[in-house]
Amino acid sequence: MSHSFLDHDLLSRLGSLPLEARSPMMGNVAGRHRSPHHGSSVEFAEYRKYVPGDDTRRLDWKAFARSDRFYIKEFEADTNLRAYFVVDASGSMNFSGGAPPKIEFARRIAASLAYLLVNQGDAAGLSICTDKLHLEVPPSRRPAHLERLFTTLEALQPSGETGLIPALHTIAEKIGQRAFVVILSDLFTDSSELADALQHLRYRKHDISVFHLMDPLEIGFQFDSPRRFVDLEDGTAIVAEPNLIADEYKSALHEFLATVRAKTHDANADYQLVTTDTPLEPLLRDFLTARLPKSKH
Amino acid sequence: MIFLSPLFLWFVAAAAVPIAIHLLNKRRHKTIPWAAMSFLLKATRESRGKKKLRHILILTCRALALAALALAAARPVASGLLGWGAGRLDTVVLILDRSASMEAKPGDGLASQRELVLEKVKKTLADLGSPRLVLIDSASASPTDVPSPDTLAELSSTAATDSEADFPRLLSKAAEFLTETSGRSEVWIASDLQSSNWHPADERWAAARASLSSLPKVPAIRILSLTQNGGASNTSLRLISSRRSGDELLLDLELLRDENARGTISIPVTSSLNGARTTELLTVPGQSLRFQKRVTLPEGSESGYGHLSIPADGNPRDNVAFFAYGPAMPVRSVIVSAEGEAAQYLALAAAPPGFGEQSVERVEPDQFSAVVTNDLSLILWNAPLPDGAAAESLNRYLSAGGQVLFFPPGQASSESFLEHKWSAPVEAASGKFLILKDWNHADGPMRDGIDGTSLPAERMKAIRCQIPQGDSAPLARWEDGEPFLTRRVTDRGIAWFIGSKPDYTWSNLGDADVLLPVVQRILELGAARFDASHTAEIGSDAAALLPGEIRERIDDYGTPDPANAAYESGVYRLGSRVVAVNRPAAEDAPELLTRDELDDVLEGTSYTLLEQAGQATTADLSRDLWMPFLIAVLAFLIFEAILCLPKKRDRSTPLAATS
Repeated sequence: MSHSFLDHDLLSRLGSLPLEARSPMMGNVAGRHRSPHHGSSVEFAEYRKYVPGDDTRRLDWKAFARSDRFYIKEFEADTNLRAYFVVDASGSMNFSGGAPPKIEFARRIAASLAYLLVNQGDAAGLSICTDKLHLEVPPSRRPAHLERLFTTLEALQPSGETGLIPALHTIAEKIGQRAFVVILSDLFTDSSELADALQHLRYRKHDISVFHLMDPLEIGFQFDSPRRFVDLEDGTAIVAEPNLIADEYKSALHEFLATVRAKTHDANADYQLVTTDTPLEPLLRDFLTARLPKSKH
Repeated sequence: MIFLSPLFLWFVAAAAVPIAIHLLNKRRHKTIPWAAMSFLLKATRESRGKKKLRHILILTCRALALAALALAAARPVASGLLGWGAGRLDTVVLILDRSASMEAKPGDGLASQRELVLEKVKKTLADLGSPRLVLIDSASASPTDVPSPDTLAELSSTAATDSEADFPRLLSKAAEFLTETSGRSEVWIASDLQSSNWHPADERWAAARASLSSLPKVPAIRILSLTQNGGASNTSLRLISSRRSGDELLLDLELLRDENARGTISIPVTSSLNGARTTELLTVPGQSLRFQKRVTLPEGSESGYGHLSIPADGNPRDNVAFFAYGPAMPVRSVIVSAEGEAAQYLALAAAPPGFGEQSVERVEPDQFSAVVTNDLSLILWNAPLPDGAAAESLNRYLSAGGQVLFFPPGQASSESFLEHKWSAPVEAASGKFLILKDWNHADGPMRDGIDGTSLPAERMKAIRCQIPQGDSAPLARWEDGEPFLTRRVTDRGIAWFIGSKPDYTWSNLGDADVLLPVVQRILELGAARFDASHTAEIGSDAAALLPGEIRERIDDYGTPDPANAAYESGVYRLGSRVVAVNRPAAEDAPELLTRDELDDVLEGTSYTLLEQAGQATTADLSRDLWMPFLIAVLAFLIFEAILCLPKKRDRSTPLAATS
């Protein structure tokens, strides 16, 4: 298992930090994550009054003996987590202004988090999307599955226009059970359509985390001479003087970033604006730490 | 503006360098694959307006800074006289107004307008690298090469004169001179724009303009006029007429103060007669005063001369009036009339009792040719209009400068003289009179008196009249608008037509309210031509030398300049004649040429009028302009730097953030 985007030292240092789901998950085996189903598990949740129709097997007879009233004993069930890494493979993800390309950064994040998840017994899957391709690697908790996932990531060649929005809708429809959806993209798409897709995922009660990948040059927009800009997705080109349009460009970009941030918050998604020159370890450590339940800090 | 180092003007092309660099940079772009294309497109769209303008302004500032630097290096010289856009001059034709009015001082303690303008022209020419200077002065009207502008003020052809200027002629002379001149030329006119010198209604302007326009290189015309802004206070003294009456010399004079003069002043007027001087104080109640001075001549004096003068003031050239006189001439008149009441009244009017020097003789119309001589002052024609030999004699008399006063013949006639006829007699309605309604109070024999008193012409009542018909100027009209008195000017003489007779069957014209002043004034006019040989205006035929004559100034007023004797007023002996030469009356006319009139007379020429206040302390019309150009360079660069300053960033919006 040797891939350029995998840093085993980093993974071993992060191994002590679990990746927690923020909302109850629905796995098929017992795990470390809360399940939305209350039932017979090891962890007591609450008492509630018996109402006709309840399973009489769950009556707390001892409580009845003490109070002459029927109480139903509720438990929280723990389950495992199924994570989907949605990687945007459009041409724009290939951009590099000096730092590693955005797709490379996406590979590292997806591979590292998938490794950590499988290591803690959760399932990790992959969804790669462009306008012409929607490749899926179903989630699995088997360690051998990781190799398939890494191989797919390694073979990934970004091209064409983005297919992120249809891919998110497909995932929202396709995954029947609650899951952890990690989106790795520069989100260069229509922000209102993105908001719809995120709301769709939220409606299906998925835990959403967005890594918004941007190159430092895309944000700083610093050039010393005129440039001919060629679109990485459709190949159109314009000649511009960056000094002349820098203010307008930055203004438009800021507006876009603010809109995306607001839309992801509306969808109760976890949002991270990440420039591709950011060191990976503090990024992932902060990400994992922030997701820990407050009681476990 | 001209440039003393015009070669540097080629560097103005350096203004194109920033633009060329900009265009080259635009072409030398690098290609970069780009992801955030939508923002780029949006930014490009938005930056088309304000940003593009800012960028253009920056480029313009850079280009202008370089251009201004090149212009400064070319040593620009600004000249108010030259204006903008002038290049290097080869020839300057200076038309200098040397008329008497140019000696007016623009202010107390300043030099005259002529001297100031010469100084300005000298300085300007020096700044311009001393192009060829050709002077056409208003007195001689002949082109003269001036070797150095430094000597301009010292030339006799730029000195003060008492003459008047004739600008249509001067401009034609300039055009004529320029036909033989190559290179770039300009015509500079230094004048006070006195309307009487410019003759705005003169038909010769069309010819002058045509001459200028037909030149291979049409010269620019620059007019330098020193406005007086009030100027130094001035009073002028003018001799209107002089005539000898026995042992007295009657001098009609006028004192004229400047337009802004207010109140009453007392002016000492000094009279000099044959070297003997007397001074008397004269009170001038308003802006002008016309008065008659009677000078008693020494007993037995046949001829003599003298002058009247007032103290020096704002214009030293208009403070003196010269006169000369000869032997007393008898004033003779002839009445051509049949005997009767009218003839008697006319005889009384032409030679009133007590006027010993005036005599009159009556002749029958058929005897007229035998008695007419050119020494007659006036002929009173109370008969049918002449024909045949009588008409010829009368025409000869008029050609010699005589005056003829025609009265109506009394019956309708088809006879005409000087293309004039009399209408059929007109009778007033029963119980009514023909009354004079309107007459010329300023001109003609019915004008107001020297003291402003009007003739009592409204008292005249007529029951019968005849209307003069022909091309003559009416000077008085009846109530119904028909002319009563008309004037027809011939070559030298004047024919007058009056529409009624001093006869009780016609009118009360003989009551002396109208007839006496009219006859006496016409008589005076007729007699004046005999005295006229003793007075003349500068530039007139009477003041010109005849073949064999030598001009010699004989009065003792002022400091004559022998080189300009022909253009200075004074008493001169011209051969055997003694003539008092005065400045032309037109020089005392205060009217200035209006801008519209100037536009009209110089229509089609690209003239520039530079009016400078005469009090301006700067004597030069041009100055170096390199400093303003360097300041402009600095200003452009500062403005460019301000435009290039980066805009303050809005720090409230972080560039990168996580949540």
